[in-house]
Amino acid sequence: MITIGIPRALLYYQYYPMWKTFFEELGVGVVISPPTTQDILSAGSLRVVADTCLPTKVFLGHVLALVEKCDYIFIPAIRSVERKVYSCSKFLGLPDMTRAVIPESPPILDIDIDINKGKRNLYQAIYKLGRHFTWDPLRVKQAGTAAWQTHLSYKQLMHDRGLTPPQAIDRISVVSSDEPTIQHNDSAAERATIAIIGHPYLLYDEYINHRLVHRLEQAGYKVLTPEMLTIEQLKAGAVRLVGQAYWAYEEEVVGAGQHYLESSTDGVIGIMTFGCAPDSLMIDMVHRQAARMETTPFMSLTLEEHSAEAGIITRLEAFLDMIQRKKRKQVEVCV
Amino acid sequence: MRIGMPHMGNMYIPFQALFQRLGIDYVIPPVNNRRTMSLGAKYSPEGLCLPFKLTLGNLIEAAEMGADTLLMPGGYGICRLGYYAKTQEQILHDLGYDVEVVQFGVSERKLLGLLDIIKHLSNNAPWFRIISAFRFGLAKLNALDKIERVVQRVRAVERIKGTANQIFTKAVRAIDRADDYDTLKKVQIDFINQLNQIDEDSHYEPLIVGITGEFYVVLEPFSSFDVESELGKLGVEVRRTTFVSEWTKFSLFLNPLGINEKDRIHKAALPYLKRYIGGDGWESVGEKVLHAKEYDGIIHLAPFTCIPEIVAQNIMPSTRENIPVLTLLCDEQMAKSGVLTRLEAFVDLLERRRRAQKINV
Repeated sequence: MITIGIPRALLYYQYYPMWKTFFEELGVGVVISPPTTQDILSAGSLRVVADTCLPTKVFLGHVLALVEKCDYIFIPAIRSVERKVYSCSKFLGLPDMTRAVIPESPPILDIDIDINKGKRNLYQAIYKLGRHFTWDPLRVKQAGTAAWQTHLSYKQLMHDRGLTPPQAIDRISVVSSDEPTIQHNDSAAERATIAIIGHPYLLYDEYINHRLVHRLEQAGYKVLTPEMLTIEQLKAGAVRLVGQAYWAYEEEVVGAGQHYLESSTDGVIGIMTFGCAPDSLMIDMVHRQAARMETTPFMSLTLEEHSAEAGIITRLEAFLDMIQRKKRKQVEVCV
Repeated sequence: MRIGMPHMGNMYIPFQALFQRLGIDYVIPPVNNRRTMSLGAKYSPEGLCLPFKLTLGNLIEAAEMGADTLLMPGGYGICRLGYYAKTQEQILHDLGYDVEVVQFGVSERKLLGLLDIIKHLSNNAPWFRIISAFRFGLAKLNALDKIERVVQRVRAVERIKGTANQIFTKAVRAIDRADDYDTLKKVQIDFINQLNQIDEDSHYEPLIVGITGEFYVVLEPFSSFDVESELGKLGVEVRRTTFVSEWTKFSLFLNPLGINEKDRIHKAALPYLKRYIGGDGWESVGEKVLHAKEYDGIIHLAPFTCIPEIVAQNIMPSTRENIPVLTLLCDEQMAKSGVLTRLEAFVDLLERRRRAQKINV
């Protein structure tokens, strides 16, 4: 059987269930790379110039981990997923860049996704992708529809049950109908809540964010993430803060940022990587907004491959201490 | 209403001509200097590129001089540029300046975006006045670029280094002062003659180096410590395809006919980079491929953290067309001596390469 490799990085967290369904419907096997490790990151970093952003280095590391494990690697060039909203250059350059810096990689399947060019163009791109495996347009169409359904239920699952993408991906892969609903046990009512905003590939890659979510939960905080909001909530938040959207995948930063700053969370942590083009502006917008509102504390953490764990922990502790003190003060005032 | 605008090379001259003819009050902030740079760097978010920082510095200095309407290029594209006007406006407001930053879309509407804004700024002046003012601005721009092309050639072969630059400075001033077509024409011919009469070393065959990279840092000498002049001092002839007058020419007359000045470059880049990636990344790769045979080397200028150029930089080494490329990342931390050392080393390398090629032949 032909197998397709999907690197566990960047857009994996948004689209993996969809891609997986699509390929499996076409009778193609899917392999994913293992979770990020130091070796994966170093291998990726070695291939590119130093200024390349951390997520790209991680991505290339994952591609390297897939070399000789699959027949093709799927790397779409996503230009826009919405009208007049474009994604960052790195997503567009990704297939060609991978080809240039990893010559030994299996053939790369790249398709251009550009909503601005209309529906027809999108369908053609999908068909072109499917044609590597079947000549039957109908089968590609069915696979596409099934993939889209999976994508919708994946989103639904994350939002309804408050799951993170990795949890939801696990849930979708293991088909079990009766799931224990342990989420939302509301003894958490008086626990402080921390919202973390940022791209899924930063929030859920435990290696590059030094297990941030886990640490917060260990410390007894309830963690909110952008995926727990509906698309409408994210969009509304983004519009209130920056007006009309300009970049794809930025609602999860500005939309979620604005939403959580306004709602009664106890603190918001923004996560970005050094050298990220859109985030350098977007996190800054949230930062300014937080400074103007003066209600919810905000901290931004910039990740890069040198960021030492101790540094992150120190900043996190200081931030949490401040939130605790603020809470105590509020209680005292009430008494 | 007082208009202010960020600098990019000598672009203030055509704009000055345009605004003067329309009776728009236009303040020119000081040309880029250390203060502009530190103001910009101080108030910018840390991860942003040099063009953002310098233009922010210009806007702050224009606001200090009393400008209340600041023009900033932008528009939808993929580079961050589209968001700069908005962010800079917020920063200026936070600093306490009561200004409006107006964005004119250059990426999708090209010059028409600018014309619309000018129509609005000139209190709805009749189109014929706008067009005639615009034509005069364009004439100045073309004159500047024509002279600059001659300067690029002469700098490499002049016997007394720096003569061409001195004449160029005078020419820029003369063009700025010229206020009708006749004077402009005379100035242009006069200075080109002066440049051609500079004492040249006619036996010397200069190395030819192409300059590619991001639009702003290529066109704003301050951002790269004027690499072109420095190369001239080392006896290197500089070629570049990026000129504002080229852009306006195509934007006005040829783009509507479906002719794009960059098609040739894009076609050359296709085997290595199949699609537009925003900014000037595609062009950087294309120019390397296209000019590998004509030039001795290429200097690739990019602002630090410019994603399209990083993608280009990653792809460039893998092309089959082989030519030495030196990437210079421009930011506020860059030091002149560092740049000079690297340029000298690069030129040495090119000279040795040329000698080796001659021996092989």
